[in-house]
Amino acid sequence: MADVIKCPVCGENNFSNQEFCQFCQSRLQPSSDPLKGADAPIKPGQVPTKKNTAELEPILPQWLRDARDLARKEEQQNLDQQASQKSDETKPIPTDDLLAGLRSQALGGEEDETPDWLANITGAKPTQKKSPAESSEVRWVELGDKSDFAEEEAEIDPDRPSWLAGLTPTEPQPDEKDELTDWFRNADDSKPVEPSKPSTTLDIPSADDTPDWLRQMAAAEDLKKEQASSFESPSGAFPPEASETPDWLRGLEDKASDADSGIFAESSAGESEAFDSSATGELPAWLNDQSESPKPVQDTTPKWLKKEADASKDADLPAWLSKNDEPGQIPSTPAQELAAEESTQDDAFSGLPDWLKASAPQSSLFEHPEEQTTVGSSDFSLDTPDWLSTFKPGEAPRPESAAPAMEKETPFDMPPAFVPDAQTGESMDDLFTEMPDWLSTAVEPGSESIPTPIVNTDAIAPGELPSWVQAMRPVDAAISSLSPSYSSDQTLESRGALAGLQGVLPSMPGFTPTSKPKPYSIRLQASEEQQSHAALLEQILAAETAPVPIASFSALRASRGLRWFLFFVIFAAVFSALLLPAPLFSMPLGVPRELGGALDISRSIPEGAPVLVAFDYEASRVGEMEVSASPFFDQMILLKHPRLTFISTNETGAILAERFITGPLAGHNYENGINYLNLGYLPGGQMGIRAFAQNPRFSSPMDTSLQSAWNSAPLEGVTALSQFTALILITDNADAARVWIEQTESARGSMPVIVISSAQAAPMIQPYFDSGQVTGMVAGLYGGAVFEQNNAGRPGTARDYWDAYSLSMLLTMSLVLGGGLWNLVLGLRDRASAREAK
Amino acid sequence: MIFSPDLITGVISFLFTILIFSYLIGDNPLFRIAVYIFVGVSAGYVAAIAFWQVIVPRLVYPLAFGSIYEKAFAAIPLLGGVFIFMKISPRLAGMARLTMAFLVGAGAAVILAGAVIGTLIPQVEATINFFDLNAAAARNISVVEAAGNGSIILAGTVFSLIYFHFGARPKADGSMHRFGLIELAAWVGRIFIGITLGAIFAGVYAAALTALIERIASLINFFNLFGNF
Amino acid sequence: MRVINAIIAIATGVLILGGYFFPQLAGVQTLLLNWAIILAGVATLVGIFNLISVHTDKIRRGEKGSTYSALLVIGLAATLIFGMLLRPQHDAMQIVLNGIIVPTEAALMGVLTVSLLYAAIRLLRRRADMMSIIFLVTAAILFLGSATLPFGDIPLIGTLIRPWVSQILALGGARGILIGVALGTMTTGLRVLFGMDRPYGGQ
Repeated sequence: MADVIKCPVCGENNFSNQEFCQFCQSRLQPSSDPLKGADAPIKPGQVPTKKNTAELEPILPQWLRDARDLARKEEQQNLDQQASQKSDETKPIPTDDLLAGLRSQALGGEEDETPDWLANITGAKPTQKKSPAESSEVRWVELGDKSDFAEEEAEIDPDRPSWLAGLTPTEPQPDEKDELTDWFRNADDSKPVEPSKPSTTLDIPSADDTPDWLRQMAAAEDLKKEQASSFESPSGAFPPEASETPDWLRGLEDKASDADSGIFAESSAGESEAFDSSATGELPAWLNDQSESPKPVQDTTPKWLKKEADASKDADLPAWLSKNDEPGQIPSTPAQELAAEESTQDDAFSGLPDWLKASAPQSSLFEHPEEQTTVGSSDFSLDTPDWLSTFKPGEAPRPESAAPAMEKETPFDMPPAFVPDAQTGESMDDLFTEMPDWLSTAVEPGSESIPTPIVNTDAIAPGELPSWVQAMRPVDAAISSLSPSYSSDQTLESRGALAGLQGVLPSMPGFTPTSKPKPYSIRLQASEEQQSHAALLEQILAAETAPVPIASFSALRASRGLRWFLFFVIFAAVFSALLLPAPLFSMPLGVPRELGGALDISRSIPEGAPVLVAFDYEASRVGEMEVSASPFFDQMILLKHPRLTFISTNETGAILAERFITGPLAGHNYENGINYLNLGYLPGGQMGIRAFAQNPRFSSPMDTSLQSAWNSAPLEGVTALSQFTALILITDNADAARVWIEQTESARGSMPVIVISSAQAAPMIQPYFDSGQVTGMVAGLYGGAVFEQNNAGRPGTARDYWDAYSLSMLLTMSLVLGGGLWNLVLGLRDRASAREAK
Repeated sequence: MIFSPDLITGVISFLFTILIFSYLIGDNPLFRIAVYIFVGVSAGYVAAIAFWQVIVPRLVYPLAFGSIYEKAFAAIPLLGGVFIFMKISPRLAGMARLTMAFLVGAGAAVILAGAVIGTLIPQVEATINFFDLNAAAARNISVVEAAGNGSIILAGTVFSLIYFHFGARPKADGSMHRFGLIELAAWVGRIFIGITLGAIFAGVYAAALTALIERIASLINFFNLFGNF
Repeated sequence: MRVINAIIAIATGVLILGGYFFPQLAGVQTLLLNWAIILAGVATLVGIFNLISVHTDKIRRGEKGSTYSALLVIGLAATLIFGMLLRPQHDAMQIVLNGIIVPTEAALMGVLTVSLLYAAIRLLRRRADMMSIIFLVTAAILFLGSATLPFGDIPLIGTLIRPWVSQILALGGARGILIGVALGTMTTGLRVLFGMDRPYGGQ
């Protein structure tokens, strides 16, 4: 176990004799060997080895491939326009290679394409600072640490490799958008610039080095490219706000107050005539200005600081910063095209969020180690620095972000974390006066200068160093020119993007910002009054959410025992009364008024007169209705032998009529078609009754035997409703009675109407009798019993039922009164107890 | 043993009566079986009646054997009937609305005219005519009785109508109350409504009791039927 | 389509309504109402088919109670088939009527007796106000007045109070209810005829 060493990146155990982690392919121990091979610093004039990275294409995320496809199409259009300017310098652009554009950085003699941050190194006074372990830095990125913001700074650095310039999608993807995207887009929109004049002197290495798909995407936004011409824009875009500017910054502002164009001198020094005037050799103008004279200097202050600062124009201002400064300047040279291309990094931010902001956890692009091994070739030196061994090809490291941080005298030269240039002017005050903790931490040199490549430690295997990575390697000249002016820390960086550099990470002695950000505590500072108010609010909310029982009567439990008792009592009474051998209760003697009218009709109709009988009751009332109607019909048939015509607005009524005529009235031997006729079911309710009342022959042309009804004997001489001698309505429904009465009102003339109703319908039919619309009424068993009493002593069913009925009624009255009083007392007691409980 | 129709009917009737009465013990599967069979049989019976007593005589016969005019007149309800059947399909239910609109319009006119001609005017007249002493004398009703009963009926009618008047105005304290006289009249109306509903309840109970008596009597008759054997 | 529906409803209503007051429109009224009769019969069939479809769906899905639904469908189909073949007046259909339909409905009505009595007894425990008391007292008077004694009607109650209550006191309330119902019916009919209410799906 002693021979086991833990990987600083993934934490897995490895044998100590292994140089690379077997799990994540990260270097287990820092290499102490001098850089050599592919890791060897590039010498001036050395051309990075071109590598083919087309095999990465299939593993690209879909959105990226789509963007590439779109970019390819647009490239065909833009390429022709650019061909005249670039035909001498550019080479055919491969379209099948993700990183093919990087070959521009591998062009021979393209030292000029060395990122400006490296160029700046040559004239800077590096302050060496020991960089933290590479692996831990990677973890910060993956976990979304503050270094993420440093990464974003690196991305928005104009010195970012050109291959990143094309990451700007042709259209901002809504799902990839984030706050940064909006900020930058707003910034771009607010500062429109004119396109620059083409220059013939400046080589465009970045144009070639940019992957075609990326460059095409960049080309698709020509307008935003042209905004890069703001490198030459004069100052004045931002009004001075020195009163609110920290002292340390104010000094910079003063120096930069007269800064002119030449922002891109550090990256295109000697290449652009436009920058010659502002660039001094290889030394960035802003460095020269800072050290020598207050004349126009590059304003390395990031935009978010520039807004706060004077409106000076800084020639050294990165494209992403300076393009907002001057809308009127046009880059006129190919160098400015380069700048324009790099300036598209502004737009690239709109496409950044997916892979950059989310960083490692979303890097599905590199989830296949076997594919990554194809990237790292066998030429990959074993002494490749860790930062390369853990490097993802697709997630470009931005080591150049470290160099400016070292060279520029203030860490604010690097756009600090999470401070995009889209910060509006009015918000800048708060930015310095209420700088949050994370930002105050981010401005510390150590954390800001740390290169934080977005890598997945298991993403890349040791192998051949891609050309674009080689191009980003520090050059010997730059290394040799480093002067220990900032610090005595001469630590040679052996890992990471700064491998080979000495003292590039200053520990910042004497470099402390003059204005220390306010420390903020995460602890809530609230006064007692506020806390009391908060407690009160909590109480209110708790009261609102607490369940409140709804005051209501408790459901009265059904008493099955009582129900059974009642059933037993009633059933026993009825059963015993029906089994009585002799009648016990006398039949009712009194004749109600309405029943007298029915009696009169039954006795007064002409002999053999046509009578219309409507059977409108349900089968459930058969017993009651037959008992009620039988005496009436028995008497009427016996006395007058009427011709009966049955009709029903109830589906079963017609069949019940047959049952009635063949049941209780069977003794009269009435025959269908001779003595009676059944017209059957009359549908439509009121409509049917009205139609029948208006024209019965048309509405009911046939009887239930499908014979022509109106030619039959029972209906002989009848053509209209009013020609019936009487209308006898047998119903258990008050509405049915009402409908019959209403709809025949105007058609029946003086025809009498007798209603034989159920006891339940009688109260609501009574008004029609009182109004004279109903001539007589027999209601329920009581009415049938009364009528039966007046039927010449003929026996009837009512007598059979009457004992049971009468006994049950007496019993019911007793139960209702007694039980009602008892429950009234119980109810009063319950309510009293309920009130007491309240 | 001869399985006469009366015997079969008696057995089935006894069986279903017992199954329904089992509900007094509580809801049980036997009760449900009887109810579901009853619903199915009733529906089938109604369908057969609707076909033989409505469709055939009023639609099929005119179309098959009627004159040209009868056929023409019968074709329209045939088309309407097809539209109604489209109501079964949710996709074609919109066509059924044509027929339903026709039925609703016809029904609205019929109930409107019937209510006015058959109930509203006659009942109002009857309420007034109760004070017609000549008419009362013709019905052998004394003047005192006619006036007294007429007043009670008039009061009952008016107060009951007022009871169903629920218009109210908000008071200063925000409560809603009817006008004082209206409130008083409604209170009296409640008495009349209570009496009327009590009378209706008594009638419903009497009808139900009669049905119970009829069923128990049928059970006794059924036993007597077996006793005859 | 909505407008057409409304036009059909309003035109039909106006023509039929006119038939009540104008003899010239009586023929049109009769014709339209006869169409309505046929359509109502068809609607009855549609309702029954819907009942069949609902319960067959329950059977097909095997829902709870599908056994009962199967009984319903079987009973319906058998009755329908026999009814179609034999006609409703046939003796076999009379057995169905007198053996199943009438006993079941009457027995259900008989069960209602106990339920009504139970409710009346428990009413005052739940709600002991003036209207409940009047309700029960009236019912009790009519119960008592409807019965007789072995020797005849119950004095005063059966001969005087009961007729007075049912023919005078109850009549007032019943007439008020009837007039109220007529007013409501008239309002509803007018709303339909004016197109304000479109229960046929116009809105």
